[in-house]
Amino acid sequence: MKVQYFAVLRDVTGKKEEDWQQREATVGDLLRDLVARYGRAFERWVIKDGDLWDLVIVLVNGHDVRHLQRFNTPLAPADTVVIFPPVGGG
Amino acid sequence: MNGWIGKILRVNLSTSKVSTEALDPSIARDYIGARGLGTKIMTDEVDPKVDPLSPENKLIFVPGPLTGTYAPSGGRYNVVTKGALTGAIAASNSGGVWGPELKFAGYDALIVEGAAPKPVYLWIRNETVEIRDAAAVWGKTVPDTTDAIRAETDDDAKVACIGPAGENRVMFACIMNDLHRAAGRSGPGAVMGSKNLKAVAVVGTGAVSCADPKTFESAVMKARDKIQKHPVGGTGLRLYGTNVLTNILNQVGGYPTKNFQDAYFPTADKIGGESLAATLLQRPKGCFSCIISCGRVTKVSNKKYAGEGEGPEYETAWGFGGDCYVDDLDAITKANYLCNEYGMDAITMAATVACAMELYEMGLITLKDTGGIALEWGNAEAMVEVTRLTGTGEGFGKRLGVGSYRLADSCGHPELSMSVKKQEIPAYDARAVQGIGLNYATANGGAAHVRGYTISPEVLGVPMKVDKDTIEGKPALVILFQNLTAALDSTGACLFTTFGIGADELAEMLSTLTGVEYTTAEFMKCGDRIWNLERQWNLNAGLSAKDDALPPRLLNEPIKTGASKGMLSRLPEMLPTYYELRGWDEYGVPTPAKLGELGLTA
Repeated sequence: MKVQYFAVLRDVTGKKEEDWQQREATVGDLLRDLVARYGRAFERWVIKDGDLWDLVIVLVNGHDVRHLQRFNTPLAPADTVVIFPPVGGG
Repeated sequence: MNGWIGKILRVNLSTSKVSTEALDPSIARDYIGARGLGTKIMTDEVDPKVDPLSPENKLIFVPGPLTGTYAPSGGRYNVVTKGALTGAIAASNSGGVWGPELKFAGYDALIVEGAAPKPVYLWIRNETVEIRDAAAVWGKTVPDTTDAIRAETDDDAKVACIGPAGENRVMFACIMNDLHRAAGRSGPGAVMGSKNLKAVAVVGTGAVSCADPKTFESAVMKARDKIQKHPVGGTGLRLYGTNVLTNILNQVGGYPTKNFQDAYFPTADKIGGESLAATLLQRPKGCFSCIISCGRVTKVSNKKYAGEGEGPEYETAWGFGGDCYVDDLDAITKANYLCNEYGMDAITMAATVACAMELYEMGLITLKDTGGIALEWGNAEAMVEVTRLTGTGEGFGKRLGVGSYRLADSCGHPELSMSVKKQEIPAYDARAVQGIGLNYATANGGAAHVRGYTISPEVLGVPMKVDKDTIEGKPALVILFQNLTAALDSTGACLFTTFGIGADELAEMLSTLTGVEYTTAEFMKCGDRIWNLERQWNLNAGLSAKDDALPPRLLNEPIKTGASKGMLSRLPEMLPTYYELRGWDEYGVPTPAKLGELGLTA
């Protein structure tokens, strides 16, 4: 599956996107793995008090996990996960 | 008075009469300032049926009580008039430093009426106001005008002016201040041009007084702290600007392309905020008293599109980008610079080019019409060239200068203008985000995202996340955002402070500054009052419920690709509930009970 990063997360990870391989995973599994890989600099943008931060935007195939099952949203091998830190404009 | 100065400046360009009058405290209390005060003056003084480009229309430059104070981002002012593009009430909102200078000069509003027999500009230094000959600057671009007028008046003068577009009455001409900030939408620049008014230059040496300095300071510091601690207001906007929205809207499938034929752009990342930060950005920039600094100082070194200035913002990058199917950031930025230099609303300009591209695709506009310019999707050079021609009023640019509705109508297909009340829809697809579509349809000045920015909860999750695809609760949400924004716009603070604070903090700052007690509920009621006053003005101007509509494409043609594939706007299902919650009848007319509740009359 593909994981894509935007805004400051590109600086934190040093990448625009990468492949991630794991069977029977959830969004929570993915984010915990990324935190292990990129440390506190990544964690502060996605996890607050052990849960998905309400302001982080995580999309699975374009759909916001805050309206799916948040950490428990299942992932399939062909999925694309996109992660934005809090962004704004108008 | 505190917060307010207590004085209005009135200049009649037909008679050359300059006068001042007191600001009525009860009007100040009920309408706050800026957008609200300007709308109240228009209601009391201008027949809604006037021709926008006639001397009977008025042009009102009006800051708010927070303008010119150290309230966070307290630098905004509005230009309120009957819009040349729309024929509706228009309150165009701008930042920079011009608005505070008008307060420092000693005025809560400048009302310009009539029309000068030949080009003039106003020179205001505190209580000294002159109407000066503008022959030497008529025809000049915004930068050249600004330099010339400063040379004639004061190097420190803050200048609001029109470029050639306003002089030529391009219907979406804007008023530029401080070179790069725009009172952009609905054509106030054309109104200014119709009055033969080239510029207003101001120097002010006064200050804004405060009723309770200690508690105001406490309220301001609390608000500043909240904004700075919020990831969007505190960091995100400064790093990437508003154009950071390009990728997020594209990824959720709400990024309109090819005149809204679709809503996903495969190469969007080339023109988003991340790319801008990595290539053209020189530094961020803020307005008066701003702690957010969303502004982009940029430079294009590519010889083909060389230039420097500010921008592009998200809407501009979208319009000249995905909407025209162009993914050349240098070209997009050049088109943005041209809009600033000639004084044109970038959203309407870009969306009009996109509409023209579709008409060209259908063969309704030909190479002969365009003077040999191939207006094909993705043709960046063509996009830049026709923008330039619109600014100079030459060739095919003259046809574009009427906006997309009148252009499409002239080709027999008005439905191909993606507009509401003849004002072009901005950069969020109403099929992919239900609430913003309802806002577009009902915003009093025509389609405008900032009148009720429900993108914030529906896509971004600020202050809370709601599902963009559902309609339940959306009428109430849209009304909440519209009322809050109407009140906030009237204070003189910037909309982006709401990435951090809300009505509570705004009411507290307003109360401690002015000494007039605003509870949060009363503050929101002011917003409701202003909204209904605008609505009444429009109804008296001849608009009606039939104008609360979206283009047929958004109701009938599903999105083709991307994450929101298959979606349509469900406006017809939301509108009746919206009217009901607003306290209006089924024709969208405020009921006597509603008007009475707000202290308004029919």
